[in-house]
Amino acid sequence: MTFSKNESFSKDELEAWQLNHLKETLIRVYHLVPFYKKKFEEIGIKPEDIKSLKDISKLPFTKKSDLRNNYPFGMFSVEMDQIVRIHSSSGTTGKPTVVGYTEHDMDIWAEVMGRVFTMGGLTCKDILHNATGYGLFTGGLGFHGAAERMKIAVIPSSTGFTSRQLLLLKDFGATAITGTPSFALHLAEKAKAEGYDIKKDFSLRVGFFGAEPSSDGLKDEIANIWGIDYHEVYGLSEIIGPGVASSCKHSHLLHLNEDHFYPEIIDPKTQEVLEDGQRGELVITTLTKQGLPIIRYRTGDITSITRVPCRCGRTLCRIESIVGRSDDMLVINGVNVFPSQIEHVLAKIDNITLNYQIIAKKKGHLDKLEIDVELSENCMSDDVGDLTRLQKHIQDELLNALYINVNVKIVAHKSIKRSEGKATRVIDKRV
Amino acid sequence: MYAIKQLSVFIENKAGELSDFTHVLSKNDISIKSILLADSTDFGLVRTIVDNPDKAKAILEDAGFSVRFTDVFGVKIEDVIGSFDKVVTALSKSNINIQYTYSFYESDTGIFIFNVEKDKFSEAVKALVDSNLEIISASHFYR
Repeated sequence: MTFSKNESFSKDELEAWQLNHLKETLIRVYHLVPFYKKKFEEIGIKPEDIKSLKDISKLPFTKKSDLRNNYPFGMFSVEMDQIVRIHSSSGTTGKPTVVGYTEHDMDIWAEVMGRVFTMGGLTCKDILHNATGYGLFTGGLGFHGAAERMKIAVIPSSTGFTSRQLLLLKDFGATAITGTPSFALHLAEKAKAEGYDIKKDFSLRVGFFGAEPSSDGLKDEIANIWGIDYHEVYGLSEIIGPGVASSCKHSHLLHLNEDHFYPEIIDPKTQEVLEDGQRGELVITTLTKQGLPIIRYRTGDITSITRVPCRCGRTLCRIESIVGRSDDMLVINGVNVFPSQIEHVLAKIDNITLNYQIIAKKKGHLDKLEIDVELSENCMSDDVGDLTRLQKHIQDELLNALYINVNVKIVAHKSIKRSEGKATRVIDKRV
Repeated sequence: MYAIKQLSVFIENKAGELSDFTHVLSKNDISIKSILLADSTDFGLVRTIVDNPDKAKAILEDAGFSVRFTDVFGVKIEDVIGSFDKVVTALSKSNINIQYTYSFYESDTGIFIFNVEKDKFSEAVKALVDSNLEIISASHFYR
């Protein structure tokens, strides 16, 4: 069963719909977003020059830095009286990336998330334990809003407080759960430690997981431990949040809602558009968004597109689970972090050098980020308390700026290996 | 003349760190007169008085250590009950906070090393001299 008829569009229907909405979107951004007008004029292109879907490759790309440079609302195509929701994620040099939704955008979001839930067979009889982070992130509220509209009973449990979550999961009899895959494993481990019988004590039958990379093996493991169907949900706030793509029960590939989000795969170096089946960076153009329409957004995520028909009957293309990044972005328990953001925070702190090292590792099933920071040549103090305070200060600043808990270790001057040329700033021990 | 240049050196809490430090000093013919270690879970501070502080600082920095000088003073004590009390009382009467203290012994005398609050160094020395206590001249340690 599908949630909407668009999911089984014929090729012609889909392409007509896409072209039609692309043209509307181009007129919208050209006339309402000065950033795009300028960009289009720079390369001498007008909305009416785009006559076919193939012409999309003539359009300029949009990068995360463009959102930052137009902070906070410079990329919005509507006035604030039309905006009903604002979300934001941490930015790359201190300023956050801001996204806004009109009522129409909220409908689109509920529509694509409705498709996700329908892939998992959810109906108004279900109880959804929403263990995805609430707040400025799009995750928690993205799942929440759509579930509520489908009259699914939502439990806004968010993240953390694992023991309490287990108690609620059992006593409320949730049939579905959301979260990051690592949190799902962490919950299972904790459940075993607390003496729960996972298959008997809980009523879960389906889970929707995302926000961090996951191998097929990991997905199967979570499905087996919990005795549930595993559905992966892909999304990013710049496009809409969760709901850009998700997997049905037939494979680990994710159906991409290309009637709303037009996908291309490019070679991240040459920026050349690649064929279906080839791996490259996913680029998305929103086709129906109003608040923040976005042209050829560089997601940084590496994947490939396939048009091999799926047994579920949906005709929308499918992408692989994200296999990597075209940049150095790290995903820490579902939160995106760039090393440059960390450096930006460290640069404002005295008594340390900018020779640091980021070490990502697993503690149990959760990600743990450690940052080794070098003390400057002149030892700042003769007092252990001062150094401990410095350590705490750096941790607090990182938490404030990036919303992540980091274990900061102060290390001796010159103890981090200097390398010839590009420094090795990140050691990812999780892979 | 009373300010002894104590070296404060940052070291990580891991195997071999302290020996790296002591090795650099011994290789360069520097004698450690007294040493005190303060630590937290992740790192420590070595406070040490050596016979050639300027040279020691230079070679330690070359070897990649974070080093600073801290002014401390040494007070001569006799091995009798009440001698340490006398020193501490003299300081506390003058309202001077002791940050830390450690001691060492030479053949016939004991010396307590003191670090007091910043800006209270001269005041502390004066309080001790007024109480007829003997402060060791810094040159006593140097070569």
